[in-house]
Amino acid sequence: MNGAWIELEGLNLHRGGRPVLQGISASLGGRAVGLVGANGAGKSTLIGALLGVLRARSGRVRVLGLDLPARAMEVRARAGVMAEQAGIFPGGSGVDAVVFAGMLSGLSRREALRRAHRALDALDVGEERYRATRGYSTGMRQRTKLAMSLVHDPEILILDEPTVGLDPPGRIQLLNLIRDLRDEGRRILISTHILHDAEYLCDELLLLEGGAVAYYGSVTGILGPESAVLVAEGSGLDVALAARLTASGVRAEAGGDGRMTIKPASDADLLAFWRVVAETGAEVRHLSREVPTLEDAVVGVMEKTGGR
Amino acid sequence: MAVERRAPTHWHVIRSIARRELGIASRRKLVRLLFLFSALPPLVMGVILVVRVMAERATGADLGWDPVLRFLFIQSMPVALLALGLGTPLVARDRSEDVLYLYAVRPVMPWHYTLGKLLAVALPTFGLLMVPGFLIAVLRQGVMPDKVGTGESVVLVAKVALSALFMAAGYAGVSVGPSAATKRARWALLIAAFFFVIPDNVIRAIWGMDAYAVGPAEAVQALLGALFGDAGLLRGVLAAGVLSLYAGVGAMITMRAVRREMIP
Repeated sequence: MNGAWIELEGLNLHRGGRPVLQGISASLGGRAVGLVGANGAGKSTLIGALLGVLRARSGRVRVLGLDLPARAMEVRARAGVMAEQAGIFPGGSGVDAVVFAGMLSGLSRREALRRAHRALDALDVGEERYRATRGYSTGMRQRTKLAMSLVHDPEILILDEPTVGLDPPGRIQLLNLIRDLRDEGRRILISTHILHDAEYLCDELLLLEGGAVAYYGSVTGILGPESAVLVAEGSGLDVALAARLTASGVRAEAGGDGRMTIKPASDADLLAFWRVVAETGAEVRHLSREVPTLEDAVVGVMEKTGGR
Repeated sequence: MAVERRAPTHWHVIRSIARRELGIASRRKLVRLLFLFSALPPLVMGVILVVRVMAERATGADLGWDPVLRFLFIQSMPVALLALGLGTPLVARDRSEDVLYLYAVRPVMPWHYTLGKLLAVALPTFGLLMVPGFLIAVLRQGVMPDKVGTGESVVLVAKVALSALFMAAGYAGVSVGPSAATKRARWALLIAAFFFVIPDNVIRAIWGMDAYAVGPAEAVQALLGALFGDAGLLRGVLAAGVLSLYAGVGAMITMRAVRREMIP
């Protein structure tokens, strides 16, 4: 398997005669991989391809070293999926739905029942598990859906928008549960719009834009040093100074309130900044590093690729 | 830590789907009531047989009337209602709740799903004719040992099994198929009821009372009539064909709807 549990080579997939995924190539081996992108970027389609539900027009898809869609049944038996667009198996209680999910993945009824209670206990679903799922709150539904994906003890978890619709405390609680699962050694693919969630959980990222890969690699890679921003505060940090810095090859922007934003590409840029400040007699009283969020970095990458 | 898991067998998946549906159905009052109601005919049949034997012994005359066919006719009615009650919500509910994708992301193929849902209707339907039929065979031989031999009882059980098999398949198709054609169980019930009532009445209006059965309920009666009465082989074969057709078309409609909607 070479460390990578998802391998994509030149994946092209059409739906309704329209190309949805175009030339996707990536080799993902992180403990938690974030699948991010705007609406319609192809995230759900890619998940469909990873489970063999959707067939690629060309290219190769391998999950856990198994070729898809030929070995889709094996991949599905070894994966736990929490789907955004689908709810809970209807017609019974929460524990019924989780037991049924386990049985569909190959467990006997007795074993599925035992594991369902264990999964629901781990996810803090109390006596509500015996109530009909029709009356569940969003938080309870999300937990039950997560329990349905976990009941057969899968090697990989594919979570599609797991925190959507949750209030802040519920979201943090669910994120912590997912983090614990990741730390147990389970491999997780999380498709999300909420980049903070991806930043909190993921060590690798696959950013899709217009059905193509805009970025793939480590999260620290996308938050790299070239994205670092310095904020200087003091006197004389005006437009003229910013113009001199720009002329010296340092990207700088005056804020007009005694603040200046500098984006040094290297240590040489930083030295150039201090040299120009000394030459002009400006005074820097405070210099801080503004660590960009994943959101900033992703927006930056998307701006660079120009929305395809 | 997770263990490497193999894909479950086809039978395991189909059985799991059928079992869940039966579990859910058994909690519904209407279904329980129909189960109870379907237990009445064998009881009545037992009483009739005992009374008949007593009357024959008292009068010394041969009454010459065997209530088996009448019993099976009556028994097939609550079974039809049960099939409608069980089958019509099965796929419509999954479609309205948008959960077919939950099957697609698990090791479940559309035909597993279809067969599981059909079995959830066919198994109790088969059992509700087969079990009382078997009891009747035992009862007849017990009450009238001088008239009914073991061979005749075995033939009776085989005939009941054959008719129960075709009936279960046909009733499953005619109730699950409409369920897959709509997202509302009520509409599915109406469509299924239409097939039970309308086709035979239309055919009779055109060709008279001797017309061949084209609806599932009449087909079951015709099959029973051919196997236990004097309706003739052709009518029996045609009735079996009609029931098989309902089973096949119901399965095809379900497969088609499921294939289309399993993909998000």
